Amino acid sequence: MIKRANFLFIEQQDDGYLLYMTPELQDDIGTVGFVEFVDADELEVGDPILNLEASKTVLEVEAPLAGKIIAKNDHLNSEPALLNAADKNENWIVKLTDVDSSAFAELEDE
Amino acid sequence: MSYDTQLITLIEYLQKERPEKHFPSLSDLSILEKWEVFRGLCNERKPEPVTDVFLEIQNDFLTKWNREETLITMNDMTAYTPHLYLWQGDITHLKVDGIVNAANSTLLGCTRANHDCIDNIIHTKAGVQLRLTCHQLMTEQGRSEPIGKAKITPAFNLPPTFVIHTVGPFIDARGVTPLREKLLRDAYYACLQVADEHGLSSIAFPCISTGEFQFPNKQAAEIALETVKKYIEKTSSQLKIVFNVFKDEDKHIYESLLTEGV
Repeated sequence: MIKRANFLFIEQQDDGYLLYMTPELQDDIGTVGFVEFVDADELEVGDPILNLEASKTVLEVEAPLAGKIIAKNDHLNSEPALLNAADKNENWIVKLTDVDSSAFAELEDE
Repeated sequence: MSYDTQLITLIEYLQKERPEKHFPSLSDLSILEKWEVFRGLCNERKPEPVTDVFLEIQNDFLTKWNREETLITMNDMTAYTPHLYLWQGDITHLKVDGIVNAANSTLLGCTRANHDCIDNIIHTKAGVQLRLTCHQLMTEQGRSEPIGKAKITPAFNLPPTFVIHTVGPFIDARGVTPLREKLLRDAYYACLQVADEHGLSSIAFPCISTGEFQFPNKQAAEIALETVKKYIEKTSSQLKIVFNVFKDEDKHIYESLLTEGV
């Protein structure tokens, strides 16, 4: 199942919830030139996940759900423009676990 | 020292910092023309240390210069509710606890010499310390300032006590999008939060993101007002909030919004 919140897609997968870019967010921010993940592993709703600097904006990407980060897309550090890719295998940001499934269910459908 | 002597001293100091550049003579310039030369030099100045002697003269000059116009207090403004005020004019004439600066993501102030934007005039009239302080905050942060956040600094030589710096969204050919609306709300909200965290009792907002950043004026005003009202409702904050407009267009928009819907 795929939901959207905070301008991100959130996809429920077997081992967690994958957060990746929506085309609207990609259009809004332009080409990404720099990213920096926050140090935290536990996120509350609205907590920063990563900071990015793109051609059209400087943005703090906020967590749409509370949860624990189990994977970060470390490739973004060396190649930030992957966030502009069309494929979620490239433009994903983090994978979360310990997510409240009812909070997920309440989010807007894709 | 007279304004004239002070300005010449300050200008000569700033010009000496840039030995590579040739500057025209200052003689025959009026005080106002000298002020513009001083302002341009401050705008372009790198955030590098400055001598105590310079600061002393600059502070003495700016505190007097900034109070040449009658200062406007909360009592001079039109109150639409116990919380919401409207005032038209130059934000640097307001004697409130904090004024909001519509900054850019470098947070170092406008670097275009003599550019007529709020970021330029706030930094110039506060003094070169404001850029130095912002530079220190940004160095600690280690990356550009995201849109929709807020940082607070002293106002140095300006009449208010604090300046709250925020970066609003920029509107390009794609126009206003849900993300940009959210970021404008975030900018207002973050400033209010910072003001309350620091115990301010009054705060003045310019029209964030309109003008240079091209957010449509009416839509921006609606978002501003809605966000401020929501904040007061949610937090029971006692803050007095001034919508400080500059253009007649914005004045009319805020007047009608404040009259209709409070």
